Amino acid sequence: MSNAPAPGGKAGLRPQDRLATLVIAALVMAVAVAAIIVAGDFPPTMLETDVGPARFPIIFAVALLVLCAILVFNTLRAPAAPPDDPAQAEPKASYGTVAVGIVATAACLYAMEFVGYAIATPIYLFGLMWLMGRRNLIANAAIAAVLTALIYAAFAVALSVPLPVGSLFE
Amino acid sequence: MYELDMLLHGAQALFNQPMALLLALFGVTLGIIIGALPGLTATMGVAILLPFTFGMDPLSGLLMISGVFFGGIYGGSVTAILLKIPGTPAAAATAIDGFELTKKGQAGIALGTATFSSFLGGTASVFVLIFLAPVLARFALEFSASESFALAVFGLSIIASISGVSVIKGLISGFLGLLLATVGLDPMGGFPRYTGGYTELFNVPFIPVMIGLFAAAEAFKSLEDPQVRAGMAAALDRIIPPWYVFRRQLGNIARSSGLGIIIGMIPGAGADIAAFVAYNEAKRFSKTPENYGKGELGAVAACESGANGCTGGALLTMLTLGIPGDAVTAVMLGALTLQGLQPGPLLFKDHADLVFTLFAGMLVCYVMMLVVGLGSLRFMGRILQMPKSVLTPAILALCIVGTYAINNSIFDIWIMLAAGVVGYFMQKWDFPASPVVLALIMGPMAEANFRRALSLSNGSYDFLYTRPITAALLAIAIVTLMLPLLRRLWAERSGSGPSTINPAAGSSRMGTPE
Repeated sequence: MSNAPAPGGKAGLRPQDRLATLVIAALVMAVAVAAIIVAGDFPPTMLETDVGPARFPIIFAVALLVLCAILVFNTLRAPAAPPDDPAQAEPKASYGTVAVGIVATAACLYAMEFVGYAIATPIYLFGLMWLMGRRNLIANAAIAAVLTALIYAAFAVALSVPLPVGSLFE
Repeated sequence: MYELDMLLHGAQALFNQPMALLLALFGVTLGIIIGALPGLTATMGVAILLPFTFGMDPLSGLLMISGVFFGGIYGGSVTAILLKIPGTPAAAATAIDGFELTKKGQAGIALGTATFSSFLGGTASVFVLIFLAPVLARFALEFSASESFALAVFGLSIIASISGVSVIKGLISGFLGLLLATVGLDPMGGFPRYTGGYTELFNVPFIPVMIGLFAAAEAFKSLEDPQVRAGMAAALDRIIPPWYVFRRQLGNIARSSGLGIIIGMIPGAGADIAAFVAYNEAKRFSKTPENYGKGELGAVAACESGANGCTGGALLTMLTLGIPGDAVTAVMLGALTLQGLQPGPLLFKDHADLVFTLFAGMLVCYVMMLVVGLGSLRFMGRILQMPKSVLTPAILALCIVGTYAINNSIFDIWIMLAAGVVGYFMQKWDFPASPVVLALIMGPMAEANFRRALSLSNGSYDFLYTRPITAALLAIAIVTLMLPLLRRLWAERSGSGPSTINPAAGSSRMGTPE
């Protein structure tokens, strides 16, 4: 993300970066607070000389809270960046493609549990190649099949590392 | 000199056994392939080959396993540099600058430097193993829980220097990694922490997290840019670095190899820790520390020589004292005992011929690694010429299969995917991923050894300053942690900083779009 220098030499934050940083800081703080609450239920140690299982997670979580508070303070204090010059604007990122890619990966994992590596992987590869702009369906299918076979050969055949068979075929 | 005579006799005996040499070559080649594949580590490679050594003579079996060990540590750097997939945990540090060099079109030089640095680091460590074994083994024995804790803290202090654009964001990533590292069984009492009832979380799943944060996040990022999606990456340029470039790295390689050897000797500290420590020291000694993280050849040289320097160090304590320095040498210890050899001082007395033939073979293994490595780089570099629209799906498929291979667990792949998504957002908003991985490696070591040291000192915190090695390492850690902060404050006061300070980032950075 870009932090364009603000007038007067001070670097500034774009509104969307400021919002994203604050959201991330809030999420991390929520994780830290949850970690402290859960650590409260950890049993005390049986050894007199030990600090117990909760001490280290609590120290790390408190440090996270302090660091996030500093980040929030700095982010709120940062000056706003001037609007982007349209002539020098970055090419617009296609977040939709990323979201579809992530969902496709999750779907592949879900499918792999049932139909196994041999069926889920070529379909996943084919779909991703299409998503990334390759429109030659026959070439995509061939590449997907070859890649699936190569990975299978490297892991399952050469190194005897078993790959998921799928619950439907077990 | 006794050692030199024995080594020459060993070399003579070795070259009379062509089968042993052939098996060593097979081991090195297999090790490089295993190291390059994500999810498969040198430990796994040695474990896979162990049953095959039962029927072999001791020299052939041990040389083949050594070959896998050496090749496995080096092989991780290839995919780390080309694709930002650290094939092994040790290559996570190499990926930081190695992949940046690839993005600049200098993948060939980066790979060549990694190969030569691995060779030099590894060869130096074997020479140290041959000539200084008894002296260094005694030094390594000085390391008890308190020293190991201090070493882990020293390792963690590197977070400040690998934080990239913002120390605050780097520290947040680091502490998030430390918090994540507490997931699993409590190292003293065995109580499950933050596992949610999942037995899969009893051990910190750090390899899935590492693959997700580095490789999957990068693959997701390449989905977002239409120009990158359609584009073809650059071809591999020259592989062997020019002498005037490599010559400047020799001091760096010598220092990093030394660090690797010492860290390798310390039980529990492996090549991953050595690589990160070497990275930090290289940056500290560099005249251009600001280039680290942006594609600095010195970083690649340091990480690889440090990681491979570790091999001789780890073998040293294993062979002289019977204490394995890391997981790979623990498996190799099993191989030795299977061959009827008992590691320890008597091994050097009762089986001196075999031991020195093995040492000569290890040196040959490193030469083989150099030849096979350099010979295969041009072929591996062709990966770069694949269109991104084929390469990115292939990387994601490799991430999935590589993660599954660790424990044959779909659960691990879900963790990898979650780490990939988190890593993607971290990358978007300048939260560095390396401190998370570093913390996952060092965190459990720090906590377990601190609590052990506390118990050994009857609950007294005196061990923090009464033991010289502990105190020295902790002092260096504080300096390492504070130095970047002090430098930044100094820059602000001297007037060069404010113009480029991003208050939200808490760091100097111009607003160049990424």
